[in-house]
Amino acid sequence: MPVLEGRELRIIGFLCNWCSYGGADTAGVARFDQPTDLRIIRVPCSGRIDPLFVAKAFMNGADGVLVSGCHPRDCHYAEGNFYARRRLEVFKNFISVLGIEPERFEYTWVSASEGQRWQEVVTKFTNQVHTLGPLAPVPEISLDRLAATETAQP
Amino acid sequence: MLEQLKDTIKKALPELDFVIGWGMGFDALHATPLFMYEPEDVDKLVWGPLNVHNLATYLPALKGRKVGIVVKGCDSRSVAELLQENLINREDVVIFGAPCRGTVSLTKIRKVIGNTGLIEDVNYADGTLTVKAEGASHEMALKDIRADKCGYCRFPNAVLSDHFVGEKRAPQVEEDTFEDLAEFESQPFEERRDFWMKEMDRCIRCYACRNACPLCVCRDHCVAQSRDPHWLSQQDGVRDKFMFQIIHATHLAGRCTTCGECERACPVDIPVLLFKRKFTKAIKDTFDYDAGLDPEATPPLLAFKANEDNIKEKEW
Amino acid sequence: MKIGVFVCHCGSNIEGTVDTKTVAEASLDFPEVTFATDTMYACSEPGQDGIIEAIEEHKLDGVVVASCTPRMHEPTFRKTLERAGLNPYMFEMANIREHVSWIGKDREANTNKAADLVRIAVEKLRRNQPLTPKEFDINRRVLVIGGGVAGIQAALDCAEAGLEVVMVERESTIGGKMAKLDKTFPTVDCSSCILGPRMVEIAQHPNITLYAYSEVESVSGYVGNFEVQVKKKATYVDWAKCTGCGECVEKCPSRKAPDPFNELLAPGRAINIPFPQAIPKKAYIQAEHCIKLTKDKCGNCAKVCPSDAINFEAKDEIITEEVGGIIAATGYDLFDWTVYEEYGGGRYPDVVTSLQYERMLSASGPTGGHVKRPSDGKEPKKVVFIQCVGSRDKSVGRPYCSGFCCMYTAKQAILTKDHIPDSESYVFYMDIRAPGKLYDEFTRRAMEEYGAQYIRGRVGMVYPDGEGQLVVRGADTLMGTQVEVKADLVVLAVGAEAAKNSPQLAEKLRISYDAYGFFMEGHPKLKPVETNTAGVYLAGACQGAKDIPASVGQGSAAAAKVIGLFSKEKLKSDPQTALVDIKRCIGCGKCAETCPFGAINMTEFRGQPKAEVLETVCQGCGLCAATCPQGAVQLKHFTDNQILAEVEALCRF
Repeated sequence: MPVLEGRELRIIGFLCNWCSYGGADTAGVARFDQPTDLRIIRVPCSGRIDPLFVAKAFMNGADGVLVSGCHPRDCHYAEGNFYARRRLEVFKNFISVLGIEPERFEYTWVSASEGQRWQEVVTKFTNQVHTLGPLAPVPEISLDRLAATETAQP
Repeated sequence: MLEQLKDTIKKALPELDFVIGWGMGFDALHATPLFMYEPEDVDKLVWGPLNVHNLATYLPALKGRKVGIVVKGCDSRSVAELLQENLINREDVVIFGAPCRGTVSLTKIRKVIGNTGLIEDVNYADGTLTVKAEGASHEMALKDIRADKCGYCRFPNAVLSDHFVGEKRAPQVEEDTFEDLAEFESQPFEERRDFWMKEMDRCIRCYACRNACPLCVCRDHCVAQSRDPHWLSQQDGVRDKFMFQIIHATHLAGRCTTCGECERACPVDIPVLLFKRKFTKAIKDTFDYDAGLDPEATPPLLAFKANEDNIKEKEW
Repeated sequence: MKIGVFVCHCGSNIEGTVDTKTVAEASLDFPEVTFATDTMYACSEPGQDGIIEAIEEHKLDGVVVASCTPRMHEPTFRKTLERAGLNPYMFEMANIREHVSWIGKDREANTNKAADLVRIAVEKLRRNQPLTPKEFDINRRVLVIGGGVAGIQAALDCAEAGLEVVMVERESTIGGKMAKLDKTFPTVDCSSCILGPRMVEIAQHPNITLYAYSEVESVSGYVGNFEVQVKKKATYVDWAKCTGCGECVEKCPSRKAPDPFNELLAPGRAINIPFPQAIPKKAYIQAEHCIKLTKDKCGNCAKVCPSDAINFEAKDEIITEEVGGIIAATGYDLFDWTVYEEYGGGRYPDVVTSLQYERMLSASGPTGGHVKRPSDGKEPKKVVFIQCVGSRDKSVGRPYCSGFCCMYTAKQAILTKDHIPDSESYVFYMDIRAPGKLYDEFTRRAMEEYGAQYIRGRVGMVYPDGEGQLVVRGADTLMGTQVEVKADLVVLAVGAEAAKNSPQLAEKLRISYDAYGFFMEGHPKLKPVETNTAGVYLAGACQGAKDIPASVGQGSAAAAKVIGLFSKEKLKSDPQTALVDIKRCIGCGKCAETCPFGAINMTEFRGQPKAEVLETVCQGCGLCAATCPQGAVQLKHFTDNQILAEVEALCRF
């Protein structure tokens, strides 16, 4: 099971290796309790994150997506997070036209030393997504076939 | 004005492989792209509200050849954008501009006249379009059948041209207020989602939206049909069709001039321009940037500022 | 592909809150997983041998280890694969310790989540390609930033090992904070006597180039091949000619300039040589206080200079240095103690900082080593020391212990008695932290032999009594009473914070720093002098407050790291770089435009423009991959397909 039905929601995190993934490690080392919903995908840099990965996650049924990178000016690759900030900001704006609440998607900056901040971000974001509730995945099949399968399975 | 335009083109023609404009199509209501090689071809040129196509779409494939192109204001922004992205060379393209009074939406006309057979005659004058078909005559006010994009047009004259014919017109509006978008987004999120589910379910995945888009320059390498990267399956489900529209819009963020070709080309009339309108507004609000005005500009998503003016990051 | 999954117990660290056996069993259902087991300590020798045996026995082509963070043991397990004859990059880790077992106690949720993380690791691994690193040359020169005792130690060790060293020092002399100290604990030996000769060695060593009064402007490049721009700030004195005779300082009429070396205890001159043992012993002009430079009058110094070294036209100069490794040793600065309104906030002249007191005690200081009250020049008979000023105090945003203040306060109490035998010293303290060799003995000597009176408690207020003395009012928590001590002089044991502009330097070096500006080490225990940026090392207090022996130890440790790095014939580049599929590339150049490293060139292939990645320049950030609309540029091991597969794996049903 990807998540515990009824208890967890599907929350995907894209974290840069150098800052936020390290910050999540620091939070772990410090034993900072966090909700269990979040699953982390490690990427080298927030600049690697094509906003379309976020879209894909929502299409496939993610209820929330969190991107976290190095603080502006602290990017391990100098500029990656600067580009990411623009792209993700515009994308966060965009998703409302799709009918996805912008609060389901957040991007933020957490450094490798900020274990406590990471705990706070995860906790608050998870609560934020739980407030919105689940987001139904977009059907993989056509609506007709979906209706047919739904009638077939009472 | 049309004659003046023809003369200008004829004068320039010897230096060019050909000039792209519009001619009459299979009937009087439908214009079609016209490739003018000889002076006689130029005589077939038409100019008016039926010139719906954005001919800039042809240009990237013609890179390296010397061609002319006739543009409306909106088309010229696509040309500017292609220049900015180095997909065409400025010295290879001769741009013929003329003031545009707006184009029609054939979808809207079809809604008025129905699915008629042969169109016998079309006339437009003084803001009225008269279509004679199957014996009946339909009079329509141009503003009722105008393409939506013309309602918020700020650039009726070519933003760049080598030859501009006629008198420049004042813009339709000073500012685009995105009322269409505001109206759509006045619905609750769930209704918006439901709306798109139904619309995307109707999509026949023909890619006409993409193929008509002057800035969909990946052509044969569109990620919609590749396995590496494998963004989409070839399944006929809602998810992949919806995802494709998101990909299309996202790839156009900061580049799209909202020329509306995607929506015009859609055979099942899905309002796919709305996605791009949303990005356009976000780009305008965040970076005060309009695509397709300055071939020398660096588009906002290929740039950054260490301290962004209009981005407020979430404080946890 | 045959994938083996190893789920680590990490003793009870993981097993305590994750059912590793269940995770291993669940893994067997994942695509292409043909072997899965739980293991006690995957990283231990038997653990690694178990992996190697399983690879051989089950003919595995790829391995997933579910254990701790890949930031810790990814290199370990890649070597394990290599020993088993597999390509080291056919490996993925699932972080089920830091990201699962340590952050929650719900065993069911943890086990489920751990299995999910293994699944995404498997999906990613299925799409991994064997990779081979490229080799490149090393520029065997090292940059040491900061000429305090840690930087000096690092520079001398490197230079002695035969490396060329470039040292950049912000002030006009090296020596750092240690040069300002009178004596050092716990031996009470003369600071400049032990540091001075080492400073001279820096100046004289043929392998060391010193840029004093200079700062690092920018850093580009990567491990083995950095390019550093050094800004030599204008001194208005030609140091090639200056002999350090000091004639100019004598004749300078601008006598209200700050004297930073003496911690602003007394005014200095606009043209200045910090102290007699300065290295380099050269004069520099503080432009904003120079009458010639501000008002175009005077010019005395130029007139009296016997070597004609003064140059009022001097400008900042940028010098480019190429190095293969960098040691940051930028030290600390004192916390801004004036935020403590209750201690006078800088208003009472007879409340001084510990470093100002050092200058007072020092024979080379402005009082010639005589302890005098700044207000009236009288010798104080009662001195009160207040500890933890800007340390262990959340209310001023400094929750940490600066570590060395207890010791230097004890030293200063001892020295006070030495200087003024009929004086009394009082020390207000929270706890005495004296864990070093001979340290506790030293603080006891201060109390027992030198009669320093230690009062456990915080000071609530310091105020003038109107008769020339200061009243120090505080709590004595051992007696449970309020105490008031009348003092002639109050010395604040001000805590340390990272040197000014440390965050800016960290950004140039692309290393992390904490909320106080201290640089982040690679691992708090196992990589104390490394950073997460290859080729950049730390020494001394820039990583966190520390005393002289610890700083010197780190200086040597950082030097050893650089020497070790340079002992390799060639360095290997990370092969996880970007790659262009030229069939898909339409030559729009967006990737080249955004690449932060200039690692993408536009070339022509059969008349078509195409992007090309320079593999040894590419650092693997993947910005190009996120920029290319048709996915023609992919980052190896972080391809679109891999990330998509991970997303899909997490969003099943």
